Amino acid sequence: MSLRGLTPRFWVSATLVAFVVLVGLVGPFIVSAAPDDTVGGLYDRPQCCGTLLLGTDNEGQSVIANLAYGTRTSLIIGLLAGAFATVIGLLVGLVGGYRGGWIDDVLTAITNVGLAIPGIVVIILVSVSLPRRNLYTLALVIGLTAWFWVARAVRAQASSIRTREHIDVARLSGAGFWSILGRDVLPYLLSYVVMAGVLQVSGAILYESTLSLLGLGPGNATSLGTMLYWAIAWGSVRTGAWWAFVPPTLMLTLIVFGLLLLQSSLNEVFNPRLRRGRAARKKADKEGEVTEEPAAVVAEPEPVGATGMLETPTTGREHR
Amino acid sequence: MGTLVDARNIRGVYYTGAKDVVAVNDVSVKIEEGQVLGLAGESGSGKTTLGSIIALIARPPLHVEQGTLEIDGKVQELGGDAKVPRTWRGAVVSMLPQGAMNSISPTKRIRHLVYDVVRSHDRKVSKDEALDRARQRITTLGLPARVLDAYPHQLSGGMKQRTVTIISTLLNPRLLVADEPTSALDVTSQKILIEMLLEMLEKKIISGVIFVTHDLPVLRTVANKIAVMYQGRVVEMGPTEMMVDSPKHPYTQALMSSVLAPEPKYSKIRIEGMSSFDRSLFDAPAVIHR
Amino acid sequence: MALARYLGRKVAWTLVVLVVALVLNFLLPRLIPGNPVDAIVGQVAAGGGTGGEQLQQVHEHFMQEFGLDKPMWQQFLVYVGNVLQGDFGTSFGQYPASVNTLIGQALPWSIAIQLPAIIVGWVLGNLLGALAAFKGGWFDRGAFVGSLFFSSVPPFALAIILLFLVAVQLGALPVGGAYSFGLSPELSLTFFGDAITYFWLPFWSLVLVFIGGQAVGMRSMAIYELGSDYVNYNRGLGVRDGMTVRYIFRNAMLPQITGLALSIAALISGGLITELVFSYPGLGTLLFTAIGQNDYPVIQAITLLITLAVLIANFAVDILTGFIDPRIRAAQSGER
Repeated sequence: MSLRGLTPRFWVSATLVAFVVLVGLVGPFIVSAAPDDTVGGLYDRPQCCGTLLLGTDNEGQSVIANLAYGTRTSLIIGLLAGAFATVIGLLVGLVGGYRGGWIDDVLTAITNVGLAIPGIVVIILVSVSLPRRNLYTLALVIGLTAWFWVARAVRAQASSIRTREHIDVARLSGAGFWSILGRDVLPYLLSYVVMAGVLQVSGAILYESTLSLLGLGPGNATSLGTMLYWAIAWGSVRTGAWWAFVPPTLMLTLIVFGLLLLQSSLNEVFNPRLRRGRAARKKADKEGEVTEEPAAVVAEPEPVGATGMLETPTTGREHR
Repeated sequence: MGTLVDARNIRGVYYTGAKDVVAVNDVSVKIEEGQVLGLAGESGSGKTTLGSIIALIARPPLHVEQGTLEIDGKVQELGGDAKVPRTWRGAVVSMLPQGAMNSISPTKRIRHLVYDVVRSHDRKVSKDEALDRARQRITTLGLPARVLDAYPHQLSGGMKQRTVTIISTLLNPRLLVADEPTSALDVTSQKILIEMLLEMLEKKIISGVIFVTHDLPVLRTVANKIAVMYQGRVVEMGPTEMMVDSPKHPYTQALMSSVLAPEPKYSKIRIEGMSSFDRSLFDAPAVIHR
Repeated sequence: MALARYLGRKVAWTLVVLVVALVLNFLLPRLIPGNPVDAIVGQVAAGGGTGGEQLQQVHEHFMQEFGLDKPMWQQFLVYVGNVLQGDFGTSFGQYPASVNTLIGQALPWSIAIQLPAIIVGWVLGNLLGALAAFKGGWFDRGAFVGSLFFSSVPPFALAIILLFLVAVQLGALPVGGAYSFGLSPELSLTFFGDAITYFWLPFWSLVLVFIGGQAVGMRSMAIYELGSDYVNYNRGLGVRDGMTVRYIFRNAMLPQITGLALSIAALISGGLITELVFSYPGLGTLLFTAIGQNDYPVIQAITLLITLAVLIANFAVDILTGFIDPRIRAAQSGER
């Protein structure tokens, strides 16, 4: 996978994501105020420069400080929950798909029930029941509810890989269960896992912001979602205090859109066959692309954008 | 028997982003009435491309830069911006695609395809009439009539291929271009399909066949004439027996000698290989037997 | 017959999931340490305006309703029994209003926005996607990027932006609520005319996002189908384009319908949050209020409703797919 195989879409999305990550990583160091410091009155207008660059929020705190720390919080939750969900889904799918038998049946049943029950419902119920809500418990809960579609897809791929010859070779040479999974099965799934991981992170960030908007956000930290919660609760939208809600909205949109675009571009990189060669339909096709056969066809997670809320497994192409 | 098809000076080029690939380089073939012309060659020789050009289904990135097709005295320009009338497809020249598995839409019954094919050519035909015609044809050629009511996934590979063969010839086209029709079939199904093709020729349902394949033994049983293609050109063309027993062109000789034959007289002959692109083979003059 | 067996399996499966959902719904809130009734009473008391004797009544009422003196499994049966009778209990936060009343008031508003949004979004989105695939060129590029953006934007983000731009800055449409102050809901033309102005923004925030998602998916499907063997074969037989398009649609539709089932959950949750942004008095705002008040009966009832809606939608989609694609019925019932 050379650098030239990377499409413009990849670079655009990578830039978006990098930008938001930068804000979250470096922002809190640059901003001179802490998110809880009172620096002004209720919804002060933005002034150049420094802590009042984006004005103040409903508690007189610096919006830009909250934005920096909020982005960091949202990103951390997203990464933790996303990684967690991907790992669980990967493990469940691998073990079930490769092992087969009753273990597979049990895991598949769990996965299917998990897929059928809307994640948002479980998350709300669990969050409401938690005695305390912080950053980490939230990430845990989100991760625990989001892994099901990954498991289903990984299982399908693992059970097809199981029939390949190199697995027999590994088994005959005495390799253990986990060793085979790790060294002979996993490498074929890596590109899928990466794409699924990206989708999971984006979904987790969305979940967090949805929860925070409902009032179920992390109790002790500012996140982009909680910023919006307060912005709506204090009517900043109605009074036109745009600096209170536009920055977090923008930031959320950038990161979610960026991640989804990134996943789509990675998909094109891993599956060149999917690149739209409009040579077939253009009149002047001097610039047409050659669609070549990819060496290994990778299954693709089908994102249905934010509306999919990561409930989507990969049934898009299974009928073919 | 007169000339059925006269394809002249066909040149087909793939316009790709990097460079243009000449797939068919100034090829001319003739087919007599009631004849099967076998188009043989290795992968990339241009035989499938030539087949698709003659079947009038070439489309971008494949461009027919030049060529004329004369069938039954009717002349059709193929090159440049020439517009091929839609009604020629299926009624004058028809195609039998490779891999009939996917050639029928999986969500509709076979009879829908029959309606659409017949009514695309003659609006006045009613669904019942179209169905009757198909049913007659099907039973005449030895398939059960229930095939029409089935979905594609309910038929076996061999059945599907034969059903597709019947649909391709429903409108009694003059020429049938069959692209590797037997490649995906087991030996028994292959035999049955070939017999069906020959039966159609005999019953004058079709008047000529171009049989594109890389499978030389099959051609021996079905073709009257064989044209061997290499790198976009016809290097040798002639009656089957002559081509098989005494090929003249060095490439044809190499090709024929690469076929395993169990008959005793071939057991002493060694199998020779050849390198991927042999300039000497490419440059050797073509040998066309009338 | 294959269809009947297919449906039978689907019904059985749905029931299983429903039971699991009920258990979850029942169990999770009860995992909070401490006696929930005391907590509730504490809250009601904190709300002010209720004296000692009334608090006693409240306490007794809820003790009875929850049956906290009985073992867990009996409580579960009581709960299930109530649910089956359609009794969702009494609200904590808005005591003594019954949950049924509250939901009954909010539900129609939610449905009024979400159902049309889903239908309109699905139809328009698929049309746009198919058109983009057929036309190609600039239209396709523009439609694709636009749809990609709208489908990736979080629904509430779009809602917020629309609200700000259209309602606040432009003042073209109202800023919140479902109808003008002073009017009360009734089936009259004036009320409808008024309510519709409040309807547009929330409706369009949902529809645009959904159109985007559908268009992107349909476009890929149509492109994929356009290159398939049967399209080629049809062309080779001289079949008219118009007839072939019907085949393409039918095949491209399948994943779109399946995709619809999968997105229902996200659509509903997106819709609820959007209601929040617009202070639209549907289930979303009710949920929000309930969470703020720790009003478990309301929360549980809403989550159960959401689960039911998703399950029913999935079931409907499964039936539809079974009709359209014969291979699915065959595979499910073990044919071939």
